[in-house]
Amino acid sequence: MKKFLAQRLDGRYSAFWASVLAIILTLITASLLLLVMGKDPVVAFQSFLQGCGFLPKANYGGGSGMLSDLFDFLNYLAPLLLASLAFIAGFKTGLFNIGISGQMLFSGFLATVFIGYNKSMSAAIAKPLVILIGLASGCLLGALIGFLKYRFNIHEVVSTIMINYIISYLTGFFINNNYVDMMTRTSRICTAAARLTWTNVKIGGVNCKVPLGIVIAVLIAFVVQFLFDKTSFGFELKAVGLNSRCAKYFGVNVGKSVVLSMAISGALAGLAGVCYYLGYTNTIIPKTLAGMGYDSISVALLGSASPIGAILASVIVSIFQQGANYMSSRVGVAKEIASLITGIMLLYAACGNYMRIVAHSYLQKELDKTSSREGKER
Amino acid sequence: MEKVFTDGLSFGIPLLIMAVGAIYSEKSGVTNLAVEGFQGVGAFVGSLIAILLIPVMGNGNQWIIYIALAAAAVGAGIYACLHALLCIKFHADQVISGVVINILAVALTSFFTSAANTAINGTASNKFILGVSNRFTVPGLSKIPWIGGLFTNMYPFEIIIIVLVIFFWYLMNKTRYGMRLRACGENPQAVDAAGGDVKKTRWIAVMISGALSGIGGMCFAYSLLANFSPSIYQGYGYLAIAAMIFGNWNIGSTALVCLIFGFAKSGGYQLCIAMGLPSNYSDLFLMLPYVLTMLLLIFFSKKNHPPKAVGQPWDKGKR
Amino acid sequence: MSEYIVEMRHITKRFPGIVANDDVSISIRKGEVYALLGENGAGKSTLMSMLFGMYEPDSGEILINGKPVVFHSSNDATAQSIGMVHQHFKLVDTYTVAENIVLGIEPLKKKFGFLPWVDMKKANNEIAELSRKFGLEVNPTDLISDLQVSVRQRVEILKMLYRKAEILIFDEPTAVLTPQEIDFLLDIIDGLRKDGKTIILITHKIMEIKRIADRCAILRRGKLIDVRNVADTSVQEMADLMVGHTVNFNQQKNKANFREEILTVDHLTVKNENNFEVVKDVSFKVHGGEIFAVTGVSGNGQTEIADAITGMLKIASGTVKLEGKDITEASVRERALSGISYIPEDRHGVGMVLDFTLRDNLSLREYFKEPFSRNGILNPDQFQKYSEELIERYDIRSGQGPATIVRSMSGGNQQKAIIGREIEEKSKLIIFVQPTRGLDIGAIENVHKQILQERDNGAAILLISLELDEIMALSDTIGIIYRGELLKITPAGELTSHEVGRYMMGVKDA
Repeated sequence: MKKFLAQRLDGRYSAFWASVLAIILTLITASLLLLVMGKDPVVAFQSFLQGCGFLPKANYGGGSGMLSDLFDFLNYLAPLLLASLAFIAGFKTGLFNIGISGQMLFSGFLATVFIGYNKSMSAAIAKPLVILIGLASGCLLGALIGFLKYRFNIHEVVSTIMINYIISYLTGFFINNNYVDMMTRTSRICTAAARLTWTNVKIGGVNCKVPLGIVIAVLIAFVVQFLFDKTSFGFELKAVGLNSRCAKYFGVNVGKSVVLSMAISGALAGLAGVCYYLGYTNTIIPKTLAGMGYDSISVALLGSASPIGAILASVIVSIFQQGANYMSSRVGVAKEIASLITGIMLLYAACGNYMRIVAHSYLQKELDKTSSREGKER
Repeated sequence: MEKVFTDGLSFGIPLLIMAVGAIYSEKSGVTNLAVEGFQGVGAFVGSLIAILLIPVMGNGNQWIIYIALAAAAVGAGIYACLHALLCIKFHADQVISGVVINILAVALTSFFTSAANTAINGTASNKFILGVSNRFTVPGLSKIPWIGGLFTNMYPFEIIIIVLVIFFWYLMNKTRYGMRLRACGENPQAVDAAGGDVKKTRWIAVMISGALSGIGGMCFAYSLLANFSPSIYQGYGYLAIAAMIFGNWNIGSTALVCLIFGFAKSGGYQLCIAMGLPSNYSDLFLMLPYVLTMLLLIFFSKKNHPPKAVGQPWDKGKR
Repeated sequence: MSEYIVEMRHITKRFPGIVANDDVSISIRKGEVYALLGENGAGKSTLMSMLFGMYEPDSGEILINGKPVVFHSSNDATAQSIGMVHQHFKLVDTYTVAENIVLGIEPLKKKFGFLPWVDMKKANNEIAELSRKFGLEVNPTDLISDLQVSVRQRVEILKMLYRKAEILIFDEPTAVLTPQEIDFLLDIIDGLRKDGKTIILITHKIMEIKRIADRCAILRRGKLIDVRNVADTSVQEMADLMVGHTVNFNQQKNKANFREEILTVDHLTVKNENNFEVVKDVSFKVHGGEIFAVTGVSGNGQTEIADAITGMLKIASGTVKLEGKDITEASVRERALSGISYIPEDRHGVGMVLDFTLRDNLSLREYFKEPFSRNGILNPDQFQKYSEELIERYDIRSGQGPATIVRSMSGGNQQKAIIGREIEEKSKLIIFVQPTRGLDIGAIENVHKQILQERDNGAAILLISLELDEIMALSDTIGIIYRGELLKITPAGELTSHEVGRYMMGVKDA
């Protein structure tokens, strides 16, 4: 058993197996927690899946069904996947963009104000413009962070957090002053033309919300994978991330790489923002940063910073986040447990490297043992 | 004007104790971006204890505050072990570890706050209501023109923190432990060769870091917020880290920076009131500490010298 | 009472993948200078690290004064009066001399009668006295970062003496010193022996052993080969024992044939981040077919010259020309393409991306050119083909060929990969910085052969090295640098190594 695990963790697909192990450990931890609270873990995990439309619920409200839940799940998945791709784009270059939630809010706010409230625009113009604004605003913000990093040596973790709060207060101020819906205390909703999700689409007899974002997100996952695996630009970015001094030595412009990488990361975060605020929620709660920005880090690390891995990991994290409401109503555990499970998963994913090192030295020791035994026999 | 000094001090001083915590960790060679999480967990543990004690000791009993502060220090100190474990034992990337600790802290405290509320009074509220600590005014000193505000309406914890900061300055600069701690952040091999225990020194430093941050978080819960809720995560931990950077990892200069942050915040707020702006505008002034931090970072970041070995895991067996 | 002060019996120590010491037994008499001779990686330092408590042996025992001891940390060794000067000094740059010496056993006083307080005043006085007593002149309140290498070494020696060590281990103490400083150090060691101290000298330099040691243990690949009386053993014999085959001391070197001027450096000044001039107004030329060697004590600006020429560091003033073309303002990439290859000092930190494969690392100079990539899209087949060629041509050994992650390769093979990659560019100028550091004799010979071959092929070679022997053996022209200034440029052969050493310590021409 020990040896089997060690070989998996030391082999070619070690990153994959480390993630699998992280998920298993998370499920065990969460089950223990649920048991301590006197809840049945099997029922809980089942209802997470039911809440996301992977398993049928006992009963459905009028006009909705399993498929509507599944589409709601995809509505959540799309921005999460994009946000984690944003994180990965920076991470591969050795940059830690933890300001994704701020960049999401920034682009979501701008797109809402400029396009979402423009009642005269047709969908064919509004939707592309929303996407464009999302990309452009996030891109600018990311580039700024990259510039501050290489020009002034400001650690991106500190600068992105500062910018997060600045954006949060600034957009909160404008929403409260100009765009607030007095009933909900959140921003007024966007026009259907601008929204990146088609609502009330009849599929198989039930009402579904069909997100445009999921198609974009999966496409972009493959683009990012291609960028880092197959292009010389991606080769340079990876070199900067792993050893920036060596990258400089073989002729890469490190400053430019840092700015470009953060610009890409920001652009993807901006895209996630419009998918979230003009797709999933369709409104902005003032002075509140989306927790999704941080969940994206869990997704990225769980997917071992690979875009394709992120697709799988984002599905897993989305199941917990999106299924939490139903699980909470059925099992009676606070829905905050979804974030806790995501957090625990992140913790185990962060230990992945250590597990792999332990596995490697364990196998090495086994090897030494057998070779010294053979030596003695000889 | 007096109010600027009073409020500035009550914001800057908790920030300082968190920054001193961060300095301990970083001077020992462990990057600490986890201050935000430490202070939140500290505030959570302290508040939980306070909530449990209120029915026993009576609402308004000021002793609860001191017990809560101690509990916050212990709780955050223990939580900090997780950061130490990841960074020192597991050799995880210390930046990643810090961020993980912060995210996990938000999730843990949010979940257990509502779980605890459900257990105690049956409502799944995400808040522990604490109220504000009593204040006192130093007779005499508070009458001094201009700076009298510094001694007016003080929180008792401000005095506690000032004493603690002096003690931890002494511990870092004048004792055997402090000498080894600083050496661990510059050249751990030197400490090892001289017979010091690098890992142990760093473990203790990270735990001190957690405990001090926890005290800072608890103070915010008892002053600014008057409760414990997820709004404890306002990025103050990151402000403390920024203060440490400007203070060049030096406790004295960091104290100065924290006071500047405090006065900038309270000054902005008072200015907002003085100008007669509607309450909405206060959001713009709440932005000030973050904007100020960004500006300071732009002007001062390049000149700083972080400890040389910070962020590098250390392994005795490494050749 | 045992005849021996130190006995190490049947010591075996493994690290993952290698056996560093394999059943080694040595015995050392009180008051002798005992040398451990062996190549890099022969297991000398590991053996002594166990005597100093830094590692614990997997099997075997250690006896001090005839009594078995078990060391869990260097503290235990210190308690048995053992001290060690490590090859890489273990000093805290931001601390004073005295703070470094007392670190770990700081003298305490009680401030206000109760507060424990490190008593630096007492420490300063004690250390001033100690340094006078042993002739090791230092100022206790100087910061380490302001001190020369040789003074730092004195601090390390004082660290042992402050701890009242009787058994003193020196790990490659002369590697970073000038000939004069080496003389001074060997005199100090001799003085310590006369004081009754026992000295263990780890080295791969046989001449030093000849000069100072009484007995010598020879280690090869973790095994004890022999223990000899130094007086009865010839230099050639020791060298052969160390390497395991007959050593050819004299590298075949053809007469230099200078061609056209390739590199012209004019009034070059480089500043570090604190605006301090690390290279001051340096001018020199290197011709095709010439090996121009820059030598000096570590940290005098020699690596900065290389970094400035290759574009890694900004040039504050002055010009650099390659074949008459001004490249002072050119980017790193432009310079490389106009004909500069660079083997940097720091293999791991600069020369390669350790987490990339060997295939990618060998292609770092080519990946952006056709046919390695077209329109920014990489062509993996070309990477594979090219790296297979280089692996073959330069005999680079690794576990999985081109797919090996470089981190898992041996230092010697990593260096082969870098040198191969750079030579393959057929550049007009090749800069070698410390090209043989940490390599064993076979690999060193190989690198030297390659450098000479490239020279004979007409390349201009700039060689920067701390190994004076290497400089003396290879160079056609020697430039000696001191505190950022080139004090002397002279054809090789006009100065003896002692004369070069004098310039290295800053003695100018009268």
